[in-house]
Amino acid sequence: MAAIGVHFGYTCACVAIFKDGRADVVANDAGDRVTPAVVAYRDTEQIVGIAAKQGRVRNAANTVVKVKQVLGRSFDDPETQAHKAQTKCQVVNKEEKPYYEITAGEHPEYVAPEDAAKLIFHKMKETAQSALGSDVTEAVITVPFEFAHAQKRALREAAEAAGFHVLRLIHEPAAALLAYNIGQDCSSGRSHVLVYKLGGTSLSVTVLQVSGGIFRVLNTHTDHSIGGESFTQALAQYLATEFKRTFKHDVSSNARAMLKLMNGADMAKHSLSSLGSANCFVDSLHDGIDFECNVSRARFELLCSSLFNKNIQPIRPLLEKAGLSTSNINKVVLCGGSARIPRLQQMIREMFPDVELLSSAPPDEVIAVGAALEAGLLVGRDGLVPEEESVTVDVSTTDILVKEVDESGAEVFTVLLPSGTPLPARRHHTLSGEGKHSSLRLEIYQRNVMEQPEQLAKIILRDLQPSEKNHDIDTVVTMKRDGSVHVSCVEQNSGRPEVITIAAAS
Amino acid sequence: MLLEARDDEETVVFTTTAASVQVQVEPVGRWYEAYVKRRNRSTSTSFQELEEEEESSEEEEDEEFQLEEYPMLRTLDPKDWKNQDHYAVLGLVHLRYKATQKQIKAAHKSIVLKHHPDKRKAAGEQIVEGDNDYFTCITKAIEILSDPVKRRAFDSVDPTFDNAVPSKSEGKENFFEVFTSVFDRNARWSSKKHVPKLGTMESTFEDVDNFYSFWYNFDSWREFLTWMKRKKRRLNGKHERRWIEKQNRASRAQRKKEEMNRIRTLVDTAYGCDPRIKKFKEEEKARKESEKKAKADAKKREQEEKERARQAELEAARLLKEKEEEEAKQAAQQAKKEKEIQKKAIKKERQKLRTTCKNWNYFADNEADSVKMMEEVEKLCDRLELISLQSLNEILASGSKDDSKAAVEKQVQEVNAQLQREREAEVQARQAARSAEQASGGGGGGGKGWNEDDLQLLIKAVNLFPAGTNARWEVIANYMNLHSTSGMKRNAKDVINKAKNLQRLDPLQKDEINRKAFEKFKKEHTSVAPTVDNAVPSERFDASGTDGNTAAWTTEEQKLLEQALKTYPVSTPERWEKIAAAVPGRSKKDCMKRYKELVEMVKAKKAAQEQVAAKSKK
Repeated sequence: MAAIGVHFGYTCACVAIFKDGRADVVANDAGDRVTPAVVAYRDTEQIVGIAAKQGRVRNAANTVVKVKQVLGRSFDDPETQAHKAQTKCQVVNKEEKPYYEITAGEHPEYVAPEDAAKLIFHKMKETAQSALGSDVTEAVITVPFEFAHAQKRALREAAEAAGFHVLRLIHEPAAALLAYNIGQDCSSGRSHVLVYKLGGTSLSVTVLQVSGGIFRVLNTHTDHSIGGESFTQALAQYLATEFKRTFKHDVSSNARAMLKLMNGADMAKHSLSSLGSANCFVDSLHDGIDFECNVSRARFELLCSSLFNKNIQPIRPLLEKAGLSTSNINKVVLCGGSARIPRLQQMIREMFPDVELLSSAPPDEVIAVGAALEAGLLVGRDGLVPEEESVTVDVSTTDILVKEVDESGAEVFTVLLPSGTPLPARRHHTLSGEGKHSSLRLEIYQRNVMEQPEQLAKIILRDLQPSEKNHDIDTVVTMKRDGSVHVSCVEQNSGRPEVITIAAAS
Repeated sequence: MLLEARDDEETVVFTTTAASVQVQVEPVGRWYEAYVKRRNRSTSTSFQELEEEEESSEEEEDEEFQLEEYPMLRTLDPKDWKNQDHYAVLGLVHLRYKATQKQIKAAHKSIVLKHHPDKRKAAGEQIVEGDNDYFTCITKAIEILSDPVKRRAFDSVDPTFDNAVPSKSEGKENFFEVFTSVFDRNARWSSKKHVPKLGTMESTFEDVDNFYSFWYNFDSWREFLTWMKRKKRRLNGKHERRWIEKQNRASRAQRKKEEMNRIRTLVDTAYGCDPRIKKFKEEEKARKESEKKAKADAKKREQEEKERARQAELEAARLLKEKEEEEAKQAAQQAKKEKEIQKKAIKKERQKLRTTCKNWNYFADNEADSVKMMEEVEKLCDRLELISLQSLNEILASGSKDDSKAAVEKQVQEVNAQLQREREAEVQARQAARSAEQASGGGGGGGKGWNEDDLQLLIKAVNLFPAGTNARWEVIANYMNLHSTSGMKRNAKDVINKAKNLQRLDPLQKDEINRKAFEKFKKEHTSVAPTVDNAVPSERFDASGTDGNTAAWTTEEQKLLEQALKTYPVSTPERWEKIAAAVPGRSKKDCMKRYKELVEMVKAKKAAQEQVAAKSKK
């Protein structure tokens, strides 16, 4: 069965479909795999996508951008006020809710942010259905981790108004993990993953713990003041000064010229992610003068170096707060369009020198792909309750260890059951002891984070037949939901068992 | 590497583990779904057994399951294995087709442990060598039952299954007692799980409907494979083998059909006997009856209502008319009366004027003057209105002779002036009429109106039929009459006059005509342009679902259509379907439309040719 995954971002939206066991991003009718989340209102029609974005030069007052910022928020919300100050489209207060005032027709119309979002969702649905060729409405939609309940509800309602049947809302970092199949191939063990998402207008860094294939967000940081647009802005400022230097005209006060320059800078920025230098060309920028300028990648990196630093800075405090260091991170996932910037990737690599940096998939599509994979899991499943976005499960609090010695005779601890494992859980290990012994001792310990391990129990296996080969001991550790542990050991040759149960502290 | 234990050590538990805590997790991914499923069912705790969850739940049942030893087992003849009951051999008589693979395996295991020749040998039993030992029967049984295909075949011909279908008379009396067991028995052949139950007398209509639609569309997995095995291996020839296969296939199909018929008969019988169906039908009938009645009632009421309204309307109209007539009559009488009164008054006044004038001796001294004055006074009497006569009389009655004379003369002058004016106006009007006549006579010869279109047409016709054409002006007149939109008939003479007139016209007038023509053209064409902006924007179409392909016909398609029209003459049944099939990308509707267009075109062409031929004859 086919299903749809939608990533609805601040600046762009992306849709992927799950079909025949694969999730693929679908290109829209303009041939782009990512659709700008911009809605332009004209007197007869509403335009969504690249056409609306480019038409913004002429129709800024009736073009809604970054609608996600106000979705489900009240008018007095500081975010709404910030959005109001920023956007060129008039925002008015109606019953404590923000509304856009659209003056395209004869009378001013008031458009709720939900309606604008609905149009974008509708576009995404059309795109997906054109690729599928059938009426598939089952969808999973991603939301940022910091979204409040009201915002999630508004987003869900907008999607449902557009004709989607929303299977579930999932968090963007979790979707990114799904797309890279992290923790989904192997259930045992525990790892930490950092999801670095740099979108058009926001930076969000999230650190997750993956144990038993289940994701748990340990800490997250979101900054709405920085994103891809900041880089474009910096580049446009530079281009404006260049223009002033060459032609002695100041364009920074000319709003339309600045918009044109932004569009040009945006294009140049994209090219610079793959090319060493890019040409920026704007027709009749000011007073009919055409503007042409060559920007090298080095120049761009110089212009944005402070911004890059600002982008990287939040990572370390975030990890510290979660009680981790950079060496604890097993994988880093890059997503969001701006994560393509080579310099940024390089900086992250420097921070995590021996960690796998996952950026093989196009970073702006990763989240949509993850959503589509989740949709593929959920579709066709009946009795699907409208699950809350986060669910609580019982997890173990301590590592369960066994004490062993290595070749040199030093004591080492081997983790049998890591902390944070969803319960109930069972782990199977094969331990070995030297063949010359006729008896073996298993010492079971528990360890809370970095404290000294505390001995829980010891298991003695006697009357083993000494042989040349090592004794192999099958050990099964089972932990119940309350945290009590059951350990059973069997020596493979003799079949001699030994079982203990350790109760949980109440 | 584990350490060696010291002698004095014992297995011991020192302390307790830390309690678990609850944390929030992301509800995504395969493992999360598996976890939730497990938690909701509170079953197996292991990850390894996740996939076999269903089987593990069966395992729990296994604990209760027992084997029933087959008492005849030891006496079985392995050569006759085809006729043995495999379930009985494995001790699963009580489960039969319900036995799961696991149960079968377990049963086999336990029975092998007991009856394996080696075991028995160890127990000191006598063993028949080779394949003749009854253990072969056990092997065969597990061979059949562990293979899903073979097992199905065996199940299908299970000798213990009761194929009987209860008769109608049996079912009529105690429907539920008889049929519940029959349907439950036959449900095992269903390919689908969850076979609906027959239910009770209280079942809802939906349930009963669901039940019968399920059974009427019954999809049985029962098949008759074992029957084809007979004698096969004795045949060597390829053809013979094929023949046997064919026979087998036919008999299998036959058996399958019989089976279908059996089920069908069963369901038919049940449907016929079902008291609930009867009840539903009656209810439905009653409902329809009442609906019909209600509808008829409503219709009748409506009609009556209408009739009444119509009557009332007619009555009102009649009353109104009568009233109007009455009023008009009265008004006419009133007017007549008034007129008479006025006439009388005017007569009286005139008389008065005459007498007064006579009394004053017509304000004249001599006879001639008085005669003239008399004439004038008579004229006054004729011309003046009632009111002015009255005022004049008053002046005459009150004033002296001179005053009266002056007043009368003044009146006379006024009347004379008015007469003069009237006469002048008449003359002017006559003159104007004459000049207008002249003007129209100058502009259009023959007095017949020529409008812009006709003039254009005439010019065109004159150019079309140049001098030297046979009976040129008749042809032109004919042409004009044919094409003119004004509907006026013109003869050759009219046309000649007009044409000459036009030739004579100064170039200015010609220019005007041309300009008018251009304006008209412009008006026609500009009126189209603004509609483009208001037009509905074109929609994107899905390839399917649109009716009719409106795109223009290409030459290939045209050729194909003509070819098809020839291939399928008019008498062909479903001619247009075939034609449409011959022209790819065009529907039946399209083809028919195109054909009509073509016929129209051909007709028009012929008509034009005939016209030309007729003309040349003239």
